[in-house]
This record gives sequence, structure tokens and C-alpha cells, in this order.
Amino acid sequence: MSSDQFREKLNKQFRIFFDKAEQERRWNPYRDVPWDKINPETPEYVAVCAETFLGVESFLPDYISKGLAVLRNSSSAQRSFSANWGYEELKHSIALMEYLTRSGKRSDEQMHDYQQALMKQSWTRPFDTARQMTIYGSFQEMATFVIYLRHEALAKKHGDEALAAVYRFNARDEIAHAHFYEDVVKVYLEIDRPGTLVDIAHVAKNFQMPGVNIVPDYDQRIVLMREEGNMDRDIFLQKVYFPVLKYLGVTRQELVQVAIDARAARKATQTGANAAE
Amino acid sequence: MKRSELITVFQRMASEIAEKDFSHVSEESVIADLGIDSLGMLELVGSMERELKIQIPDEQLVGIQSVRQLLDLVEKRTTQTT
Repeated sequence: MSSDQFREKLNKQFRIFFDKAEQERRWNPYRDVPWDKINPETPEYVAVCAETFLGVESFLPDYISKGLAVLRNSSSAQRSFSANWGYEELKHSIALMEYLTRSGKRSDEQMHDYQQALMKQSWTRPFDTARQMTIYGSFQEMATFVIYLRHEALAKKHGDEALAAVYRFNARDEIAHAHFYEDVVKVYLEIDRPGTLVDIAHVAKNFQMPGVNIVPDYDQRIVLMREEGNMDRDIFLQKVYFPVLKYLGVTRQELVQVAIDARAARKATQTGANAAE
Repeated sequence: MKRSELITVFQRMASEIAEKDFSHVSEESVIADLGIDSLGMLELVGSMERELKIQIPDEQLVGIQSVRQLLDLVEKRTTQTT
């Protein structure tokens, strides 16, 4: 596949994605969430979970700037997607912040202090190439979709229809993003299957969610969220890893072969280095 | 294949993947406690599948925590294959 064909395929994917987003997925966090259905009795730990999501979403400037740094020269479709992605993700943090303040769970001042604390950290891009970051996006957006759905169920359990709606809107965007990333990875697989498989194995092995180490008290927050419907390793495998691989048409066996080859290459390099000493 | 042979295969494969000595590992061991994360476990399972010429459906790998659970699964598949 030539680079022109690559760009053409991605442009087509983006047109489909963006048209669908405009037709079916536009929403307004100030107007479309039923704010009158906030349950004032929703327990504090549910608010802590919402605050944690807000923390992760708040690093949007880093995600955009550092993500675009590797994507901007790859294709116009990926640049356009990034711009639209940023707009859609922005609404997630707006909706979460609106919930926390409208519900009275947090004051404007507390939100300001939280944002200040968050911005003392910055997100580090976990991978260095457009292809790896696209693969990362497939797993990460799918994982976020699954987590938001679980928290939608939790909010419903507590009779908080407003918070449930926030999670539902956010989840709907996340799954659309995940599918776009997956479609792009499929194109990468068409162009260079062996190289893309190596990248999938690398990203999967080193995958972690974006809030790790940058959201204050992240470990304690995650313990709470895990108890209350977050991701554990089985859910990750069942709802994220296997479905993404299946959609991409990649088997576990292919990734095992990649791992075996990588180990053999490492050993050969090490043997060579030892012999040279 | 005998159970004792299966655990030997497990120990050898795990040692190759994690580049650590797993000869002490027993069936009671918890896989995560060995320093093998969920994706490492998939690599381990994949290597055992190749070695033993079996195939384990993805959905059956969910919920595997201990070496015993994994060997039960592998044993069941080897029995079905032979």
C-alpha cells in the first residue's frame, strides 16, 4: 500500500467517523444532562470516583499537545481526529465538574484547588510513534468506555440519573473513539502486519491507564474505584483486550510468536555482546 | 500427560518468559505473585498451547488466578485432544 493509499483510507475512516459524530453524537453538557435529577443522597465515594475521572480528563492539554506531536506528520485524518477528539473529551471534564459542583459534593473553590494540584503534574506520552499511540488509543479508549459504563450502572444504583447520564454520554464518545483508533490500526496492519504486531505486543505489555502517577492520591482512588466498578485484570482481558484483538483480526498466537521472536533476538544480542567482551 | 509433567512445562515456560527461576513454583502459587501480569500470563498460556499442541478459548482464560487453575484448564484440553 502506498502512502497515498494509506492517507486515502484514513481520510475515508475519518469522514465516516466525523459524519456519524455530527449526525448522532453531538451533546451539550450544560443542557442535555438532566441536572434536576441529581440525587443529593448519592454517597461521597461515588463523588470521589467522579472527581478521579475528572482528574484524568483534566490532562487534556497534555494529551492533545503531546499526542499531536507524534500524529501531526502521519496523516491529515489523524490530525483532524485529534482536534475533534479534544473537543469531545473536553465535554467529559465539563460534565463531571458540573456534576460535582451542582450536586454540592464539591465547591467551586475545592474544584479550583483540585485543578491547581492536578496541573502541578503533567502527562508523559507513553509511546513514541503514531502507530504505537494509535494502538494505545484503541486499548485505552475501550477501557475507559468499559469503566464509564460500570459507573453509569453504579450511579443508577444510587438513583442519580444526572450522573448516570454524564457517564452514558462520556461512554458513547469513548467507544466511538476506540473504534476509530481500531479502524486505523487495521489499516496499519494492512500496510505492515509484522511491524504492527510487534507494536501491539509492545503497547499491550507496557499499557497503563493515563491517570497513573499524575492524579493526586491515585492509588487510593483506584482501590476505591476498583471496589466500586472499575477495571480489574479479568475485566480488562474480557472486555478490552480480547475484543480489541478480535476486532483487529489479531490472534493471541500471533502475539506469542512476536514475544518469542523478541526474546530470541534479545538473547542473540546478549550472546553477541558477551562474545565481544 | 501427567500432572507432574505439566507443572514442569509450566515452570520451564514461565522461566523463559520472565527470565527467572521458577523451579520452586507449586500448584498453590498465585500467578500474579510470581510477577507475571495478566498479559504475561497470556504469553505463558500461548507458549504452553504451542508446546502441548492445544488451544484454549479466550473466554476460559478469564478468572485464572493460581497455577492450579491454569493447570486444570491445560490438563482438560490435553485430555480432550488426546
